[in-house]
Amino acid sequence: MSETPDIPSIFFYILFTGLPTTLLLTGIGLLLGLIIGLALALMRIYGAKELMWFASGYEKVFRGIPILVLIFIFAFGIPVEFLWYINPLQRPLFSVFLALGLRSGAYQSQIFRGAINSVNFGQMEAARSIGMSGFQSFIHIIFPQALRLALPSWSNEYAVVIKDSSFAYAIGIIELTRAANRISFNYPELWAPTMVIVAIIYFLFTFPVTNFFGERQTKKLKKLGLGGG
Amino acid sequence: MILQTIPGPIEDILKVFEYWDHILSGFIMNMWLYAFALTIGFILGLILALVRQYGGRVFSKVSTGYIEVIRGTPLLVQLFLLYFLPFSLNWPIGSWRLVSTFSLFDKNIEIIFFDHITLIGIIALSLNSAAYQAEYFRGAIVSVGGGQVMAAKSLGMSTIGSIRHVVLPQALRRVIPAWSNEAAYLPKYTTVVYFIGVKDLFREAHYIVSITFRSLATYVIVAIVFLITISIISKALDIVYSRTRIPGL
Amino acid sequence: MKIHDVWKSYENLEVLKGISFDVEEKEVKVIFGPSGSGKSTLLRCINMLNPPDKGEIYLRGQNLMSSDIDINLMRSRIGMVFQQFNLFSHLKAVDNVSIGLRRVKGMKKEDAYEKALQALKNVRMDAWANHYPAELSGGQQQRVGIARALAMEPDVILFDEPTSALDPELIGEVLQVMLDIAKSGTTMIVVTHEMGFARAVASEMIFLDKGLMIERGTPEHFFTSPQSERVKKFLNQLEVLYGSHEQLLQFKDKEEL
Repeated sequence: MSETPDIPSIFFYILFTGLPTTLLLTGIGLLLGLIIGLALALMRIYGAKELMWFASGYEKVFRGIPILVLIFIFAFGIPVEFLWYINPLQRPLFSVFLALGLRSGAYQSQIFRGAINSVNFGQMEAARSIGMSGFQSFIHIIFPQALRLALPSWSNEYAVVIKDSSFAYAIGIIELTRAANRISFNYPELWAPTMVIVAIIYFLFTFPVTNFFGERQTKKLKKLGLGGG
Repeated sequence: MILQTIPGPIEDILKVFEYWDHILSGFIMNMWLYAFALTIGFILGLILALVRQYGGRVFSKVSTGYIEVIRGTPLLVQLFLLYFLPFSLNWPIGSWRLVSTFSLFDKNIEIIFFDHITLIGIIALSLNSAAYQAEYFRGAIVSVGGGQVMAAKSLGMSTIGSIRHVVLPQALRRVIPAWSNEAAYLPKYTTVVYFIGVKDLFREAHYIVSITFRSLATYVIVAIVFLITISIISKALDIVYSRTRIPGL
Repeated sequence: MKIHDVWKSYENLEVLKGISFDVEEKEVKVIFGPSGSGKSTLLRCINMLNPPDKGEIYLRGQNLMSSDIDINLMRSRIGMVFQQFNLFSHLKAVDNVSIGLRRVKGMKKEDAYEKALQALKNVRMDAWANHYPAELSGGQQQRVGIARALAMEPDVILFDEPTSALDPELIGEVLQVMLDIAKSGTTMIVVTHEMGFARAVASEMIFLDKGLMIERGTPEHFFTSPQSERVKKFLNQLEVLYGSHEQLLQFKDKEEL
């Protein structure tokens, strides 16, 4: 490590070392969050009182705990005995999956709840009036529209999760931010530029998505008559 | 050995509470950072939103750019960038600090209120929060509607006048629900300063764990502290919102 | 007021093509025509909310288009009543009326309050002075809007389809107020479909279509012998839709007398 690396090589190093893990963390976190979020949303809208209470409580708890603390609880807090099914070497990774997923679930629940509720009530009435059962009308009429309505907020959640994945740095996982810091440790004077580069990488993965699926998409959908209301 | 590995939870919690002074000082640190970040973020965010909406082509773009970049990059990266910036630019940073020590129930508590790293933490959190708050303000400003601005102008009010007397009073009231969201959840993000060495609650938690080895109890207690704080802030803001209701806003 | 050869385009669409007319004091000009004819745009050109691309607008001899004019001062002498009312939702009715007096004309709080109450009395809304817009019906809101414009004592008041957003049963009260104002000598430029109103108080009517002034004349001219086919067709359509409003107005008129 004698010569100082130049910008492009820094860029590619960070990209190849950190990006796969970051995307993996984000992907699994979002997926887990999706399953949990949908389940909670359904619980709150269609469930019995106890289920509603549980879902509401879950949301409150997992929105109120800092992501760092959550990661550490899973990474170091829970005694090893409870995690017999996880390879101990993979523990950090799985802790982050869990932490991101549980947290995202709480937020996605809100997103889906909002989306389902904004699908025009008249649609449900129309579906019932042609003989569809509640379940059918949900699957075929409400859910598809709710999904489209949820897109902007969901793309926002994606951005949040990919940014939160940077906290996995704390337990040694080599994702984007840690890859950047690795370079910085070896070449301290390049710290600021390296950070700028990793910031640009994150930005490239968040801005286009949120911009595309955000307001513009909603406006286009409204024109086509999709998207409820 | 087996008895050692799953100790009674109550005993755990009590052991951790022996270090309540650390918990307290860490908590105060987080709240201190939170207060600054929220306030500075509010002022800066409001300015950003107004500039974005009424500032003219150039400034509007600058403001929007700032908001999008900050919102599109992780807080941690922003923090690191700010932290190492002086280093990269070869700015000399002297060592200085503003400390406060006080005694409570015969335990000495020391809180570093201002420090090189604390300052950077405050700046990073403020700049970050400002961008998010600016988005909320923008939504509220837009929701007031151009019609009322037109009416104000037709009376002869200047643009600044119409912002001051028509847009802001309404926007500030309309933004309260969304803003309460940001205000209530900002404390969570103050833990990020752990990474640059500030003695916040999270770092104190580490310290406690390193001594007591009761990791689960410690982190859970920290989590609960945050939960309670956030609930209180949330509830308080709800009350403020219901007290300032104007019919039709 | 002189409006001279005004042209205005939006992107590639020419909305106003060479509009010219004069407005004398105490005159009530009614501008009407199909939607898209540029009526609203014309009004917003007059008070420079949306300045025209070409042409001049004179208020008492002063050219509003010139750059060394304080447009805010000029606007305070031109009142405007909007289709969507545009009341300030965070202010009570009386404050809605007084805010212009206080912030633009610099009146003291007490004086402005007095004047505002007086204006509200003139539109028969003084009992609602302390209500917020959200608590008022459309017709009541519009009347407050008229009071707001009146209180500034402008040289001329512009009305942009003031009744088009109202439920039928509320139109009468607003038209009545407008009638009273017209009779008391206020200079008004009104864009509307309410032919009954036009017939009652208009000094001149202008038919606008696709940005051009097709025909102009007194109400008698229009209602007895309009010249262009376009105008005839339009008036017939209005008669079918709005015929009942005539009676509404006359009924109220007689009540007043």
